[in-house]
Amino acid sequence: MNSDSVISKSIFTRGSILEDREKKFGWFLILPSLIIIVSLVLYPIVYNIFLSFFEVKVTGNNEFTGIQNHLNIITDPAFWQSVTTSIVYVLFTTLGTTLVGLCVALLMNRKFPLRGLVRSLILLPYVAPVIAVVYSWQFIFDPVNGIFMHIAYDKLHLFTERINLIRSPDTSIYVAILFGIWKNFPFSYLMILAGLQAIDTGLYEAAEIDGCKGWQKFRYITFPEIYFLLGSIILLRAIWNFNKFEEVFLLTQNVKVLPIYTYLKAFTGIMDIGHGAAIAMIQFILLIGFILIYVKRVLKW
Amino acid sequence: MKKSIVLLLLSIFLLSFSSYIFAGGQEETASSEPVELEFWTRQTQSDRMTTIQMLIDTYTAMNPDISIKLVPVDENDMALNMRAASAAGTLPSIIEIDAEIAVALGSEGILDTDASSALLDRVGKDKFFDGALRLFEAKDKGTYYGVPYHGMIQGIWYRADWFKEAGLEPPTTWDAVAKAAEYFYNPEKNIYGILLGTMETESYDEQCFTPIAMSNNAGLFDKDGKLIFNSPEMKEAVEFYARLAKTTPPGPQTWRARDYYLQGRMAMFFYSTYIMDDLAVFEVAMGSLTSDNFEGLKGAEFDPDLVKNTKTATILTNKKDAGFGAVVSMAIPKLNNPDVTEAALDFLNYLYSPNAYITYLHMAVGGMMPVFEGVANTERFLNDPKGVYSKYGAEKIIEITEGLNKIESFGIVEGNRIEAASTIYSKKIIPQMIYKITQEGMDVDKAMAWAEAEMKKLIN
Repeated sequence: MNSDSVISKSIFTRGSILEDREKKFGWFLILPSLIIIVSLVLYPIVYNIFLSFFEVKVTGNNEFTGIQNHLNIITDPAFWQSVTTSIVYVLFTTLGTTLVGLCVALLMNRKFPLRGLVRSLILLPYVAPVIAVVYSWQFIFDPVNGIFMHIAYDKLHLFTERINLIRSPDTSIYVAILFGIWKNFPFSYLMILAGLQAIDTGLYEAAEIDGCKGWQKFRYITFPEIYFLLGSIILLRAIWNFNKFEEVFLLTQNVKVLPIYTYLKAFTGIMDIGHGAAIAMIQFILLIGFILIYVKRVLKW
Repeated sequence: MKKSIVLLLLSIFLLSFSSYIFAGGQEETASSEPVELEFWTRQTQSDRMTTIQMLIDTYTAMNPDISIKLVPVDENDMALNMRAASAAGTLPSIIEIDAEIAVALGSEGILDTDASSALLDRVGKDKFFDGALRLFEAKDKGTYYGVPYHGMIQGIWYRADWFKEAGLEPPTTWDAVAKAAEYFYNPEKNIYGILLGTMETESYDEQCFTPIAMSNNAGLFDKDGKLIFNSPEMKEAVEFYARLAKTTPPGPQTWRARDYYLQGRMAMFFYSTYIMDDLAVFEVAMGSLTSDNFEGLKGAEFDPDLVKNTKTATILTNKKDAGFGAVVSMAIPKLNNPDVTEAALDFLNYLYSPNAYITYLHMAVGGMMPVFEGVANTERFLNDPKGVYSKYGAEKIIEITEGLNKIESFGIVEGNRIEAASTIYSKKIIPQMIYKITQEGMDVDKAMAWAEAEMKKLIN
């Protein structure tokens, strides 16, 4: 009895020494990535939050202003306008890219001649450089010389006057949303197609034997199989589009989504880094809030 | 295995060490203390960069102990980059900046006024046009934030043949401009009255607005620096601007829409002398059209008679005469390094020497006019590579150049420098106000109250 316990104790202590060593070794192994994450991700975030409490001076003598920067932002009606614009933009582009991507993926999942070629051609908007396609869109929608107004106004008389669809504050958001969907749906399409191809065809055969029609097959097999895939695509697209700057800004400067508001507020003319940091912080909190609501309430993960 | 790794490491070490020694040896053979200058130019186009680089190469060949790095910076980013560089302690040695930015940076203490004075002494202060020099005067009279290098004049360019046919007066007064703009505005035929800026992120709006406000005696500040923006005169000017903006092509517009004029779709447009070569020379105009928007579209043909049929009104009159122009200077940031400053002064002095100066100015025919007397009438200046100036004739060129003496600006009131005007300019408050009125349909009083509140925030 006595000797047994001694033995087990010595095994235990030896085990804990080994465990200790392994732990240390483990820390040693993750140290490089830890250093990178802390210095390149965590430090900037913390420093950004820190800066948002100061009026940042070029000379380096920052002045502590408490939550004045944050107050200035959340009492600015333009800020809330841009939050609304952002939500509308994110909502419609996310839904649009996912739905169009889903439809195209379902279509491309069927067999037809030259399918491989068509599948790769669909990726074109996604892989084309933003600046090139943005200019093409601007030429198309130019109110005086553009092909769109030429057809819609001169030929079809759809409008009573020439309209600058791409720049006017009333209409530019629609063009931006349309552009966002057109530019980014191939990504959703690609992901969904991969998901569709992974579904066991045996499931469909079984369903057919049970007498399922096309819609029922989609409702009870395809959709549940790609449910989490769709959830992730929507989440990713929402995050990306919430922070989207270049597509919107290059296309039309009049759709003031949050990143553009930040740019105009903090970086035009005199740099206002304190305000910029405060906006970034508020934007971050908003985004986290949306994600949490989405994950908990919509996806029920 | 281990051995081979050790050998590999050793050989890498030896190689790098020997190259280090080699490099060190090379350095010693060169001159004792080479000075390195960084020159931020706002000429970002590659052909202009090549010309400036050629001037630099010529200079450094004569001065082997100075090396110069040329950095192109877009004019809209200049202020931002300068502040970032100042915060980071990596200021360039020479910058090419316009008056508004020079004053904004100068008032923050980033620019070296002593160096500017030294440069003015070397080049000869009396040679400069007073009007151009005045734009760079610091708060302390007689000191300057930068030294004028080239300038452009803005005016209303108009289709003289259309005006003649319609029996209209040239657009030199408010009445004449408004009457003509409304007369020619015919959206059904895709023809528009006048182009002025209505985009909220473009300085072009304020450049169009300034002569309109100034000609109505409406300033931003009084001579003691008190904000007097919300005045009846200013409201008249804003309303007049909004009235003209109704005759522009649809939607928010900026200077790029000048192409509509070249296509014969517009009667008038606010523009600087930069347009001279587009109007006069076929290849240039075609390049401008195709590189922007309109290759192959109807109306893209060049009208060879356009230069003959285009006239310019550089002064606008209502209650008084006002002109608008922009002068670009060479400025030296505060560096605390006398060697670098001295080298920068020497290089700039070279850039003011006649041959280098005219070579530089010929990079943008029309857009870069000389800022001192005795250049515009020289054979060499009038004989530009594209043959543009000869199409206008020496007399017209000299007349335009002398307009640089009559530039009005919100930042100078009765000879006093109001630095806050530059801050307002760089924060684009007036363009935002114009956008709100003309594009979002905001009431003039409300938009002006908004602008005034924003200006007050900046001043305090």
